[in-house]
Amino acid sequence: MMLLAAAVLLIALTVLFTFSIRAKDMPAPEPVSPTRHLDERRAAIYENLRDLQFEYRVGKLSDTDYQQTKLGLQKELAGVLSEIEKVTSGVKPPSKPAPAPAPKVVLTCPHCDAKFAKPMKFCGECGKAMS
Amino acid sequence: MENIGALAILLAFCFAVYAIVGSLVGKWAKRPFLTLSAERAVYSVWALLTAAASILIYSLIKGDFRMAYVWATSNHTMPTPYKFAAWWGGQEGSLLLWSWLLSTYAAIIVFQNRRKFREMMPYVVSVLMFTQTFFLILNGFVASPFKMIAAGRGIVDIGDGQGLNPLLQYWTMVIHPPMLYLGYVGFIAPFAFAIASLATKQRGDAWIHTTRRWTLVTWMFQTTGVLLGMGWAYAVLGWGGYWGWDPVENASLLPWITATAFLHSVMMQEKKGMMKVWNMVLVSSTFFLCIFGTFLTRSGIVQSVHAFSEGPIGKYFVAFMVIGISGTVYLILSRLEYLKSESQMESVLSRESSFMFNNLILLAGCFAVLWGTLFPVITEAIMGEKISVDKPFFNRVNIPIGMFLLLLTGVGPLIAWRRSSFESLKRAFMWPAVLGLMVSMGLFAAGIRSFYALMSFGLCAFVLVTVALEFYKGAKAISGKSGRNLLVSMFELTHRNTRRYGGYLVHVGIVILFVGFTGAAFNKDTTVELPQGGTMQIGAYTLRVVGYEEGENANYSWGRPKIAVTKNGEELPMMMPEQRFYFASQTPTHDIALRRRLNEDLYINYAGPGNGNNNVILQVYVNPLVSWVWIGYWVVLIGTIICLVPSKTKLVFPRTEVVGIAGKRAGAEKHAKTEG
Repeated sequence: MMLLAAAVLLIALTVLFTFSIRAKDMPAPEPVSPTRHLDERRAAIYENLRDLQFEYRVGKLSDTDYQQTKLGLQKELAGVLSEIEKVTSGVKPPSKPAPAPAPKVVLTCPHCDAKFAKPMKFCGECGKAMS
Repeated sequence: MENIGALAILLAFCFAVYAIVGSLVGKWAKRPFLTLSAERAVYSVWALLTAAASILIYSLIKGDFRMAYVWATSNHTMPTPYKFAAWWGGQEGSLLLWSWLLSTYAAIIVFQNRRKFREMMPYVVSVLMFTQTFFLILNGFVASPFKMIAAGRGIVDIGDGQGLNPLLQYWTMVIHPPMLYLGYVGFIAPFAFAIASLATKQRGDAWIHTTRRWTLVTWMFQTTGVLLGMGWAYAVLGWGGYWGWDPVENASLLPWITATAFLHSVMMQEKKGMMKVWNMVLVSSTFFLCIFGTFLTRSGIVQSVHAFSEGPIGKYFVAFMVIGISGTVYLILSRLEYLKSESQMESVLSRESSFMFNNLILLAGCFAVLWGTLFPVITEAIMGEKISVDKPFFNRVNIPIGMFLLLLTGVGPLIAWRRSSFESLKRAFMWPAVLGLMVSMGLFAAGIRSFYALMSFGLCAFVLVTVALEFYKGAKAISGKSGRNLLVSMFELTHRNTRRYGGYLVHVGIVILFVGFTGAAFNKDTTVELPQGGTMQIGAYTLRVVGYEEGENANYSWGRPKIAVTKNGEELPMMMPEQRFYFASQTPTHDIALRRRLNEDLYINYAGPGNGNNNVILQVYVNPLVSWVWIGYWVVLIGTIICLVPSKTKLVFPRTEVVGIAGKRAGAEKHAKTEG
């Protein structure tokens, strides 16, 4: 008798738990981002840039390697950002990315000689004050 | 009681089937009620299997010998921890452990993602419960742990059981199988998310980010399980080694190898959006190799010290693997469009290519081990005769593979992502290569002539220097900027990127393991029959038999010679290896005497009485550097735990001058901060 009662209880409890679902138990729908995988890619490129800068700082990369890789990553980032813009604004980008404008050097870091197209308070390469 | 256990398994089977149907129909017909009830069914499966497992454990500890499983694996005289370990000491119980662990993992996965990944979760649940259903078929209908012993028309109570296999009555066996199973079963999580990602045609890497920690934890359990198994083999089997290339040992190594390859190649996908198909293949291979490992242990198709008796269970595993692998291959092939690489390999001299080599070498190792393991099965199928390959085959093939992997362990961190010029490489490689060569040459000058040993020690030094330099250079850069001392900067460095520096520590652990493995090149062993008072010499040790003791307890009788040991004339503590005879199972076992030191172990096994009056047969081994295998494991464990700690935030994106069409937007983003 005890055995039967235990069996009935086991079945009743599990069936009740599985199927007694109230409206408030339903999870809210997730916001759908059409650019999710592009956002992930963008975050990955930023992380790659950060790693690259650190590896350069610790002397693992030559200047040439650093500059070439950085340019490659920047181009990749530009492509991803362009894709994001295309998805979010619905505007079709030109088939080829516009050629990069020649950087106009206006400022040189007094500590590491890195050159920048825009004035900045701190150097983007070595992090020291530009003035 | 046993009826409730059997009912719980039957109910769990019904709920698991419902969870598959409910989640898929709920997804396709857009009925969220069904999807949610399917997720609830996963919790119900867990609760029911917990009830079934509890009943089995209670019966084992209480000694309900009416049950066939309890009779076969437990008896009154066994200590309670071994009665508990009897849960996985036999076929039926260990399959229930598999099922219970799977249901636990499934419940955790469903709970963690109850508000996330709503698109993917129905598929995740169906993959989890499809696997669960397979194991529940075995638990309920093929190898039930709740079968009773019947005589005539009634159930009989035998009174006492046969007891756990004496070889399994050892402390690591209490934790080795659960650890290994936690690793085996855990790979269902990345696999289920990978399949769900394919089914929902995801272009992103969400499944990788979600399962990153899970994969690492699972890998950690697998590593622990394999190492505990090695520790058990070393201390219990009495042959002086820890790895015999036994088919079931190999079966535990195979998914570990592919999982290690996956942990590396997944970084390529995260960093560069490359190797997406390859990662799918690796994660699927790892999961199916876990199933294959379980199949090898249970089917009896290969001879092994670990194998359970041959039974009909093998064909069920084959059917599951055929269905599962076919479905996975179909899904991968039909979703190739969504798995296209987002970038290309830019240079052969890059971190990417070193990862590719690492993957290829690991896969070559995996294939070699698989080939050797299945060779008897293949030869039987072709020639009608089982031909086994032995230790020399595995060593001949795997030692060069291991050397190459060790080299890549050092090379990888030295090469930058995307490209490295010869100039950068020359600078990075110079000191590690010089020091590695110096170590090899120094050891050669000291009289070591084993080619692989010289190479291994040289490569170990090379890798250690590369890792040390990575920590030093990184800490120096932080120290230069923050003004803090090097040690604090090293902690800071590790905390900033726990995954990378934890990974380097894992590499150090692997190097230490290799140091331990290399010690095997200098092993000495001998088997002698000695009379009372007789002496023998091995290496720097002199052994003398000075007495003999014997006795018995409720579980077994024992006999042990007393051996006085001196090393270079210095007296060491007495060693007493033991031979036991277990009454219930009528089986002899050996309890070795072991003197562990960092430089070498002295290992004595008492093989039994000799022919002469009071003579004893001793197997004596001097195993150099074995302790470094166990030390290496602890370093691997610490490194893996560091990888699991979230990285410190507050790292600013590098300033980037983005060229091209989206420059304006990028300019706005370039001062953004990220969560590490």
